[in-house]
Formats: sequence, C-alpha cells, structure tokens
Amino acid sequence: MNQRFEFRSNANAGAFALAAAVMLVPANLLPVLDTQTSGNNRSDTILSGVIELWRNGLWAIAAIVFVASIMIPALKLAGLGWLLLKTRRGAPQDVGRLTRIYAAIDFIGRWSMLDVFLAAFLTGLVQFGEFSTVRARSGIVAFAAAVVLTVLATQAFDPRALWESPADSSP
Amino acid sequence: MTSPPPAKVSKAPSFPLIWVVPLVALAVGGWMLLRDLVNRGPEITIDFADGSGVEAGKTTLLYLGVSAGTVTSVALKPGLEGVTLCVRLDKSARSLARQGSQFWIVHPEIGFSGVKGLDTLVTGVRLNVIPGTGPVATRFKGLDKAPAPDVVDEGRAFILQCDRLGSLTTGAPVLYRELKVGSVEASRLSADSTSVLIRIHLEAPYVNLVRTNTRFWNTGGFSFKVNLFGAELKDTSLESLISGGVAFATPDALPLAPAAAEGAQFALASEPDKEWLKWAPKIPVAAPDSAYEPSGKSGILPALLRP
Repeated sequence: MNQRFEFRSNANAGAFALAAAVMLVPANLLPVLDTQTSGNNRSDTILSGVIELWRNGLWAIAAIVFVASIMIPALKLAGLGWLLLKTRRGAPQDVGRLTRIYAAIDFIGRWSMLDVFLAAFLTGLVQFGEFSTVRARSGIVAFAAAVVLTVLATQAFDPRALWESPADSSP
Repeated sequence: MTSPPPAKVSKAPSFPLIWVVPLVALAVGGWMLLRDLVNRGPEITIDFADGSGVEAGKTTLLYLGVSAGTVTSVALKPGLEGVTLCVRLDKSARSLARQGSQFWIVHPEIGFSGVKGLDTLVTGVRLNVIPGTGPVATRFKGLDKAPAPDVVDEGRAFILQCDRLGSLTTGAPVLYRELKVGSVEASRLSADSTSVLIRIHLEAPYVNLVRTNTRFWNTGGFSFKVNLFGAELKDTSLESLISGGVAFATPDALPLAPAAAEGAQFALASEPDKEWLKWAPKIPVAAPDSAYEPSGKSGILPALLRP
C-alpha cells in the first residue's frame, strides 16, 4: 500500500465518472429548490423548474438552465465514458478529434456549476419571511457532488493514453 | 562495486482504493432517494361540490392549527358535478388518511357573534380536517361546510321551543346573570311546523345551573319604555343585543329541582317575569378554568373570580 497515489490515471477517471453518474440520479429526481411566495409553495426538481420557466414564457432562461443543468452534465459524462472506452481498446484512429473532445469537456466543466450557484444565490438573497422564501433542498447537494465528481474525472483522465496502446500505458 | 539493493516490489492492491468513490456515491445517493421516499406522506383525493378559492400548491391542509399537507392539484370532475383535490399529506400527518376523516374548506366568516377564519382573507382558503378512525383510505368526500363543533368539553345540550326564532343566530350566547355560559348551536322548525326548536349548548362547568324547572327567555334586541315615572331601557350584553341571546334563571325554592338531562326541552319565553330575575339559587358549579383555582399564592383576584 506504500505505492504513491497516482491521481492521473484512467482507472481513477472511470471511478469518478461512475460516481458522478450515480449522483446524477438523485440530482435529477430530488427537488433542488423550495420557493414560497406569499403562501404559494413550490418544490422543484431541475426538470420541473425548466418546465415552469418555459410555461412562464422565459424561454431563453429555460433553455440556458436546460442546457447547463441537464444536457451538459449528461453529455460530459457520456463523452468521458466514450473516451475511456476508446483508450481501453487500444490506440484509436481519430486521436486528434478525441483530444479536441477532451479539451471541450474540460473547458465546459466549470459552467455546469451554474445551477448550484443559482440555488446558493437565491437561498441567500430571497429571505423575506412570509412574502418570499427560497430554500435549497437535497437535490442540489447531489447535483453539486455530480458536477465536482465530473470535474475530478476530467482532471484524472490522461489524454496521453489516447496515443498509447494499452500495452505501454502505465498501470 | 556494490550491487544496488534489490528493488522492493509492492503488489498493486487488488481492490484499487479509488473505487471507494463510486461506492460512497452509490450509498449517499441511495440514502438521499430513500429518505425522500420515506419522508413523503401519502397522497389523498377529496371530492368537493365547490372548490372556490382552492389553489394547487398554495392551499394547505391544517390540523390542530399546523400544516398537515398541501393541495397538489385541483381538477374538475369529468361530469362537472364538483371538483377533485389531490392533497399530499406530510409524513407526520399520514394517519389523517383514514376512513371517516372529514375535510372541509375554511372561508373567512364574519358574523355578529364572531369572526372565524380571518387569516384566510390574507392567506387564501385552507382545508381543515377532523380525523377519522377507520382503516386507511385515500379517497374522501369533502363536507360543504364546517361540521358542528365537536363537543370537546362535557357540556350539555338542551332544546328550547318558541313561536318564532327572533334574532337568535347560531353562536348567539346563552347567559346566566348576563355571564356567557353557553351558546346557540342550531335551530330548526318543529316537525309540525308550529314552533321553532333551538338547540343550545351549555359549557361543562355550568350544566348544573339548568334544572327541570328552569325558565328560559329571549334577550334579543332591546326595548325602550317610557311612562309617567321615567324611561326604562331593557338591555343585556352588547353581544346579545346584536346577535340575540338566551338567558335563563332557576327558581331558588328549596329543595332544588333535579338537574335537567341532556336534550331536555324547555319553552322559550319572549320576556322574563320580574320574579325570575330575583331568583338566586345556590348551585355549586365546577371551576371553568384551572387558572382560577385558589393555589394559595395567586392573591385575591383569582379568588374573587372563582365561581
């Protein structure tokens, strides 16, 4: 066990990605935000929040939240999983394209914290007692965990493995 | 030349430590979902003939003054003969979902004998419930109006008979020596429609004041008499002046007549005899409130208030 812990390894990336995928389930099923405005109580999951925004005519915001909170986390994990599978199969042909995908995933990662930021922001700001109160719910914690784990998975992924055959890649 | 020491080769752990991360994620995520599932109370549906003011996500179900659930959806019945409400009960209120539970919608009510549900003016209507004791159920038929108040105390009900109702309304006070000891609960026409029957309810401490020979009279309104020797204004409490009221007196002739039984019927006079007002029988009554019990150090005021 005195082996030095190597953070940058595809096994780690796979573990983090799997954990992130697991956390995405409660993140999408559990309510993330309770809003209470003059006696009107709502408990929203990410998806029901998007639907509500859409219904209220806020299409742009609905689209942003949908892309940032539902599409990007899912696409990121799917992309990462695909890259990991490719490296296991040996040096892929389209290395250049895969590397660009990796760069895109890495770049886009920070933006999926938008939802968490929004929830923290609203919870801190909107506290008007009887009139309007916003409370964060457990779903946002799962969502934050999923985002953090995805970022870790992206960081742990070693793009050099794309160029190596499984034989010469270090364990 | 010394040979380098043999390299220590450590075996990679058979179970990489990193795989603890997804396992922990699985445990935490599963626990979160499970907790949400466990904390969620049952959903019940209630049919009402009228659902004015009920809003999904806003109207709450109150029991004992605290929130016990929220209306999640409001829909008309397919035949348009009423509305169907879905209510998500809180976990702690799950035993309200029992057969025999009575639900009704509370609207603000402003009458002469009191204001009820005033808070619903601001917060919108709410649902109230009296829990049933039957087996678990999820479908209920709502009441059109609040059920008759549950007799929580051990009071006693009597029936008064009179020619016309006058200004007596539900909730009007029943007075003894102009002190409120009960209230009018309901009134209806007698079976042969020759008189009006009024049901009154006396609070528990005062039930012994009503004897079989007790006389009741109507105190509603006021009368104003002017004659040679001056003017006389007959009035009682302000409350009964507005909403009507019933007063009674019991003859003080000894021995006292036996206490009247539950549901005993009396005639309601429109005016008291002069003599009735002078009656002052000594009838022990129970203390209405433990706060008035002489506890020794509470001073003279509680002792004075003690009946």
